Amino acid sequence: MATFDGEKAAALHRELHTHLPSDPAMRVKTLESLAIERGLVAPESIDAWIEAYSEHIGPKRGAKVVAHAWTDPNFRKRLLDNAADAIKDFDFQGSATGHLKAVENTDNQHNLVVCTLCSCYPFSILGMSPAWYKSAEYRARAVREPRKVLEEFGVILPEYVGVRVWDSTAELRYIVIPQRPAGTDGWDADRLATVVTRNSMIGTERDLTREPA
Amino acid sequence: MDGIHDLGGVEGFGPVPVKSGDASFSQIEEWEKRMWALARNGLASSITIDWFRHGIERMVPADYLSFAYFNKWCADYFMLMIDEGTITMEEVKRGHVENPGPPANAITLNDALKLNSKANRSFEIEALTQPAFIVGETVRTHRNVPSGHTRLPRYARDAGGTVIAHHGCHLLPDEGARGRHVGDHLYTVSFTAAELWGLEANPRDTVALDLWECYLVRA
Repeated sequence: MATFDGEKAAALHRELHTHLPSDPAMRVKTLESLAIERGLVAPESIDAWIEAYSEHIGPKRGAKVVAHAWTDPNFRKRLLDNAADAIKDFDFQGSATGHLKAVENTDNQHNLVVCTLCSCYPFSILGMSPAWYKSAEYRARAVREPRKVLEEFGVILPEYVGVRVWDSTAELRYIVIPQRPAGTDGWDADRLATVVTRNSMIGTERDLTREPA
Repeated sequence: MDGIHDLGGVEGFGPVPVKSGDASFSQIEEWEKRMWALARNGLASSITIDWFRHGIERMVPADYLSFAYFNKWCADYFMLMIDEGTITMEEVKRGHVENPGPPANAITLNDALKLNSKANRSFEIEALTQPAFIVGETVRTHRNVPSGHTRLPRYARDAGGTVIAHHGCHLLPDEGARGRHVGDHLYTVSFTAAELWGLEANPRDTVALDLWECYLVRA
């Protein structure tokens, strides 16, 4: 049973720091061996989860949801009201989407998502978070100088566009609904989904084009 | 706690690794994939999500800043599993367990996808009190926080903001990290960038945080 004792946790970390190899691949290999020998995990299960997140659970899910919001006003409204519920239409609910919140970019407002305290991310709808999202640089700077961070991603915001940064401090998880690109009138949702990038759903990209993501 | 993890607004960091850090899951290092997959299997059965997070916060500070994300997870799981008695420090040093258990049941890809879709856990619990604040009300965050786990970042302490949403009662992480199941009203509070960062901030910019009622007082 966990002790929930922070001082004990810190002492164990110091001891582990002394004894564990420095190579992360070696460390994870050790953890994996112990977990398999203890009967907590089967090697095949590790492969199954890797395949699930390599091939099936990724940002294409979010792109499909965004494209439907662009083409179906009723779905858009449901998504903005309760995204956690709306994504069940596609069976996309899962890890870290129990309190999913969709926030919409407009001509005058841009949304940017960060988790400054750890790296919370809506895995089941966007897949694995990119390493830059988990970097100290992004976590430290996104809340303080979002416009400079956006410039590093190639996004130059006009002065009249306000930025709202969402710091994921609770179990709410955020997905940005980017604006539909010009020149896509008459496209169906499947075709529209091809132009929605992962970064646009985090907020580090703004102006989507007709080019596939 | 005023920990190394509380990075929001800390100055001195360089450019965001926009290109080098942009790999998708299928492109990341094999050990990173394996760490993520291992964690899907519930390695430590008695932990809470908040104790998991606090475990990372209690890492050696220099390790926290230098370790890649999933290397922090690895360090945390060693700590969590030793703490709850699933493995011992001696077994970690040896790299093998003393008395191996029966092998775990293997799951298939379909099982993994089903388990994932069932993982959309709700953290909302029944409210025993009326919410103290309403949408549109101005509030102020506390200056002091406890030395354990909390989700009020340093940069947003002692700051005035406006409630823009109420989400009912959610499990309070400060208590969850102690293994306790306690709810408190949760709000989204919007702060102007100028309130948090001074007058040089763009007047149109805001930062929104999800904050529990016990972090707030009426402004």
